[in-house]
Amino acid sequence: MKKIWVSLGICAVLSGTALFSQQEKFRKSAPPPEPLQELKLPPIESAPLSNKLNISFVLRDNVPFMSLEIVIFAGEALSPDKIPGTATFVASMLGRGTQSRTAADIEEIEESIGGTFSVSTNQDYVLVSFHFFPEYLDQALDLISQMLLQPNFTKSEIDYVKFATTYDLLGRERNLEFVANRHLFRLLFKNHPYEKFAFSSDVIKNWNLNALLDFFDRYYRPNNAHLIITGNLNLNTVTRKVSHYLNTWQPRELPPMPLQTVKPPDKDRLCLIDVPQAKDCVIYFGTAFPSPGTQDRFALMVLNQVLGGTPTSRLFMNLRESKAFAYNALSEIDFFNAGGTFCVQARVTPEFIAPSIREIQKEIKALTTSPISSQEIEQAKSYLIYHFPVEIERLDAFSEKVADIKARSGGDECWNKYYEQVMLVNGERVFGAAQKYLLQPFIVVVTGDKSVLSERLSEFDSFDVFDSKGQFQYLVNKDKKGAAHEAR
Amino acid sequence: MPKEGRPLLSFGLFFLGSLALGCSVLAQQRPSFPLTHFKLRNGLQVILSEDFSLPLVSVAVAYDVGSVHEVSGKTGLAYLMENLMFSGSANVSPRQHINYINRAGGQFNAAASEDMTLFYQTVPSNQLALVLWLESDRMKSLELSEAEFEKARNDHLDDLRQRKMADPYLESSLSFDQLLYSDFAYSHPLLGTEDDVRNLTLDDVKSFYSTYYVPNNTVLCITGNFDKLKATELVARYFETIPAGKDVSPSLEPWVYTKKQVLKSFENVLASAPAFHLGFRIGSPSSNDFYVLSIIDYILLRGQSSRLTRRLMNRNNKIAYQLSGGIEKKKDRAVYKIFGVVNTPMMADQCLEAIFSELDRLKTAFLSEDELARCKNMFKQDYLGHFSSSMEKAIFLCESYLTIRNFDDLPLELDRYLNVTKNDIVGIINRYFTADNSIILNIKTK
Repeated sequence: MKKIWVSLGICAVLSGTALFSQQEKFRKSAPPPEPLQELKLPPIESAPLSNKLNISFVLRDNVPFMSLEIVIFAGEALSPDKIPGTATFVASMLGRGTQSRTAADIEEIEESIGGTFSVSTNQDYVLVSFHFFPEYLDQALDLISQMLLQPNFTKSEIDYVKFATTYDLLGRERNLEFVANRHLFRLLFKNHPYEKFAFSSDVIKNWNLNALLDFFDRYYRPNNAHLIITGNLNLNTVTRKVSHYLNTWQPRELPPMPLQTVKPPDKDRLCLIDVPQAKDCVIYFGTAFPSPGTQDRFALMVLNQVLGGTPTSRLFMNLRESKAFAYNALSEIDFFNAGGTFCVQARVTPEFIAPSIREIQKEIKALTTSPISSQEIEQAKSYLIYHFPVEIERLDAFSEKVADIKARSGGDECWNKYYEQVMLVNGERVFGAAQKYLLQPFIVVVTGDKSVLSERLSEFDSFDVFDSKGQFQYLVNKDKKGAAHEAR
Repeated sequence: MPKEGRPLLSFGLFFLGSLALGCSVLAQQRPSFPLTHFKLRNGLQVILSEDFSLPLVSVAVAYDVGSVHEVSGKTGLAYLMENLMFSGSANVSPRQHINYINRAGGQFNAAASEDMTLFYQTVPSNQLALVLWLESDRMKSLELSEAEFEKARNDHLDDLRQRKMADPYLESSLSFDQLLYSDFAYSHPLLGTEDDVRNLTLDDVKSFYSTYYVPNNTVLCITGNFDKLKATELVARYFETIPAGKDVSPSLEPWVYTKKQVLKSFENVLASAPAFHLGFRIGSPSSNDFYVLSIIDYILLRGQSSRLTRRLMNRNNKIAYQLSGGIEKKKDRAVYKIFGVVNTPMMADQCLEAIFSELDRLKTAFLSEDELARCKNMFKQDYLGHFSSSMEKAIFLCESYLTIRNFDDLPLELDRYLNVTKNDIVGIINRYFTADNSIILNIKTK
């Protein structure tokens, strides 16, 4: 009898274990995703004011804030050639005083309405961003209208902005990534108006009141701006309110603003920027191209994703996970009004600088010689599709995205047709884009300690050496016997 | 299935219309979201909050453990453990957690603090099951190998060295914490000391994991676009069979201190400029004083127009070149810290004098309605900022639960801050911001 009970007990334990392990089978592998939910974005509704100020409104309910963005088409490309940085200077002076309010008054008002105010400048445009509680829309518009219609550029505020910008730039110039990126940008846009975007701290002394007034008067006009409001309101109310505060903003005939098309670099080039005593080094690897059409644009986005868009992309998996050369290795694609850039960046330990450059070259070449597997293409597309709502979830990111679409003439394909456009990309189009855009010359910029890196770069035929400000120092050339020579 | 369900709470959205700028009455604009809270049989606290704006879902898992739970000689464990949670589990290879989230188009992060260790991610809403699978696997069966442990410990030591090099005031700040908190649990550094970290063993980590990384010491929060019933089933499926751990009884001593000014100096070889640390021990984060203290923080240091920023960083008469600070919460304790970098030791004295004179001004003269309204609106902006994304909301709900252990009062919480009066402020300034409750550490350069 006892044996029977023991047996039954064992059976019960076994069946219990079997049942338990059966229950736990779901832990063995990742659950499959559910069907993807459709992303429905609110439409971007637009209307012009009588002074030609374009207004756009996007409904975003269930958020406790409202955002007001103003795009002014007065980016660094329009700065006077002799005074690069003027566009940034003028933009920074917004909010530094009006005829009836000091900069300190303005700061107090911004904080009183639960607001955050910021201004940024890029190659193509200035973006004024103001986020606040919805009940203060009138106060926000009133303040913005005073900044635009009754600015007061005092000497003390000009001095302050020059000091603050210099201090900020000097701080950034200690960052290897910033130095490399700025230098790459200068070389990619040599003699193009975009080059002015990469100004250094020593040009700030040339910023002056006359240039400021001239630039402001010329470009800060309603017919050269686009105002976007995002929040829980409607286009009619928005238009009425904006008109109330900004209808006296006077339009003016704009000077011709030709957009010189971006060209690819004419040859491959390797540059070393000396940052003495830097422990790591940074590689920036880039090329530029004229504005691509919609098809190429989306193919390039998928291509970028495959190469280095995330830590699961090829570059990261190779340089960091497989070879352990790099702390990170990613790629990025940017589109401007006159063209675009494709860049790879990696932070590596100095001993692996040369093999890292070779690996990046190999990875780029591989994309142009053999088509990417359909599985990789689909993974890249999935990422772009799935990640899009993550990118625009926050109100600030959402409204900046809308502003960028409006500023760079992006259409619905960058908004409600985004999914559709990504889905249309196939392996053939990606391979075509790789051959069209990645076979052209690349500029490689390395920043780090010259005394450690020079010898390690000597396996390359030649490279230019610059100081940390970007001033050319000398060229290192390899002769037929492989010996390196410096030429100044 | 869930052991006990709680009724759905719905936080109403109230707009009282537009108000004139500077008006003393504030728009009582409360965050609006549904909330469901229940506990699994193994003690796991589960919070669900749906928002159907975008097809996204965020999952935050907060373990009620941080550096305050470390014992002497074993510092750095909480921070090390956070990194080791990515080292693989029974069904997920090392660092595959990151790859899974990336491939799904999501984003993730983790953070260890003095009183909490948090893991959070946002993914498309069709991938909720994936995240629950990943999180449950590492809660149930983290694989802690010697190789992964060595790698994480070396990274940790690197991190310690880099932080020391990057922040010349780190050492003085750690010394200041010892003066301010006085007992080991609260005063030792979050990342631990180099010696302690070097001496940690795999067994230390395993023991820490099995003690604190258990369902009954954890809050799981799901926010965003999901079906509540389905999410509840998924949570039960993945988490209910994870065994509960032993009760983690709070071993933390109540804070007993006597008000007495402490004034010390610290010779800093790394810093190029003199500086000062000033601190006040203040009420517990769960006391009612905390609402008032939070508004005082905005009066003193938040924003460009705050009193100390205007007084010390005034462009025409600048006496500090860097100024930072605010309330620091560690479990049941809170302190108010101010740190300033100056040009000369005399300027440090000037700064301290200016700070105390501003505090005196707050004690003797009521602040204006405009100033109070501005500070409350800035506070409200930051408070509502916790609801800017599903991830921030999930983190906020986890933190709130671990602080107040009760959601019944949450709908009214914002109002409690916004109802602070000028009298409350004078009372709290008098109680805590006094010379005899101050701790000062002057940093001298060599």
